[in-house]
Amino acid sequence: MILKRVYTFVTGFLLVTLLVMVPGGTAAAKRASIRVTGSTTVLPVAARAARSFMAAHPDVRITVNPGGSGMGVKSTGRGLADIGMVSREITDKERALFKDVDFNVMVFARDAVACVVSSEVYEGGVKRLTREEIKGIYSGTIKNWKEVGGPDRDIFVIDKEAHRGTRHVFMEYVFGEKTPAARGADLVSGANNEEQTKVSQSNSAIGMLSIAWINKDVRGMAIAENGKTIMPTKDNIINGSYPISRDLTFITNGPPQGVVKDFLDYIMSVQGRKIIKDSGYVPLK
Amino acid sequence: MFHLNKDRAAGIVLGTSFLITMALALFILAFLLAESLPVLREEGLSFITGQVWYVAGDIYGALPMIYGTLAVTLLALIIALPLGIGSAVITSEILTGRTRHIVKSLMEMLAAIPGVVYGLIGIALLTTSVRDLFGLMDGNTIFTAGLLLGIMILPTIMTLSDDAMRSLPGELRAQGRVLGLSHGQTIRRVVLPGSIKGITGAVLLGVSRAMGETISVMLVIGSLDRLPTPIYNVFTSGQSITSKLGREGAEGLGLGLQWSALAGLGLMLFISVMALTFTGNIIRGGVRPKKSKNHEVTG
Repeated sequence: MILKRVYTFVTGFLLVTLLVMVPGGTAAAKRASIRVTGSTTVLPVAARAARSFMAAHPDVRITVNPGGSGMGVKSTGRGLADIGMVSREITDKERALFKDVDFNVMVFARDAVACVVSSEVYEGGVKRLTREEIKGIYSGTIKNWKEVGGPDRDIFVIDKEAHRGTRHVFMEYVFGEKTPAARGADLVSGANNEEQTKVSQSNSAIGMLSIAWINKDVRGMAIAENGKTIMPTKDNIINGSYPISRDLTFITNGPPQGVVKDFLDYIMSVQGRKIIKDSGYVPLK
Repeated sequence: MFHLNKDRAAGIVLGTSFLITMALALFILAFLLAESLPVLREEGLSFITGQVWYVAGDIYGALPMIYGTLAVTLLALIIALPLGIGSAVITSEILTGRTRHIVKSLMEMLAAIPGVVYGLIGIALLTTSVRDLFGLMDGNTIFTAGLLLGIMILPTIMTLSDDAMRSLPGELRAQGRVLGLSHGQTIRRVVLPGSIKGITGAVLLGVSRAMGETISVMLVIGSLDRLPTPIYNVFTSGQSITSKLGREGAEGLGLGLQWSALAGLGLMLFISVMALTFTGNIIRGGVRPKKSKNHEVTG
């Protein structure tokens, strides 16, 4: 009983203190701050750039948070972020939600989305897929890897959260629309590192990932199209032959100004381009 | 200077904090209600019975999430109930002195571990173990989430049940023995029936923790908004209300029908958890420590 009273007292006390202190606290912050949020594909670039930018500008504080492209668009639209990281186009629905917001889109790199599989599937003989095969797998009509020349194992189909940029771009190629329902899905993942983990933990998974996230456990499929086999590589992004490619963008509400503009300019500078390259993407010419 | 009586001062402070707490709870309820009105108007009953959650088409059916929450909670209960009460019997009735103290503190410590830690352990060990043990394609399933929750609420159920059993007057046990009951019989016929209120309360509090737990469930449940086929197949991916909120809350971000639908999910969860906690506390209200009487008998 006594403990409970003490507990209630402490809770009440803390609440009151909080209410009193919050307005005073913010006045102390003097440094300029930039809030960046959104796509986990863009995140490595933003995080690395933020680190070196802050080293050169100690008076600027940049926080970079993941959440997906959808969150990047909405946070920027609502004024909760200064810069949104977006790895797809802003949808009509999103534009309709923010009629009064003038989204300024800055394209900084090209990337490709690969159809990825567990290494066991790749080594089991599946090294390329056609658009129709991927569509069959994601709609649930193709259920076993042997139907596409692989081992006799059920396909474990990994989908992504509907607002994710990677999913929009991938599905647009496979289904011809950005947000189809994938009836064949067995699991839904979110951020790129989550998708990467789930594919590598399985021995029969298929998923979708930016090519920068491919590794020895998570292998990128070549796309078979019109008698040609096109690998998901940087070269094929540059020469335009790989069919599932996209722009990586930073968006702002209106043209960027002040430190936000300085930071975005830095990303487009020589140092920024090196960061983009090191992150596995193709900087714009 | 101050003529304010100490008791009165304490009364004012406690009263104020009580009012703040109540106001907060009411505010949350009112907020969720107001925010979920649009989706209730748009979807009507199909918000609860609908099986399709398709943000792009603004269709919001929460049945898979409701099912997921009920399924993981039930699974957690099936796992934690016998184990929790069993170990409470051991700490309360069998262990004594130092050993009891150590085991009990250990359990209380387990109860305080944050959900995300369980979730990380779940991702690292549980999903793959469940997959291999049951020969599944993947270990991110409703069952895995239920199992993890069962482990998480076990300490809560155990320590609160232990409290309930310990609060029984020692003389009851003595009377049992005088009547010729063995130790085991005393536990079955005297201790368990006598502390049933406290145990029920403990279980309800455990259940409400299970229902509200988010991050650990989100990390292992698979996050697929679909009812399993057949419906009792918990060895497939699913979605609970909390994992859905965790996945989409930040993206929904206060806008449009999607946000309203998420608020609607929150409302369902809030009402259920509040009801369970409230009932749990009322039932447990009858339980009061009676240590002095214990001393009379043992001392």
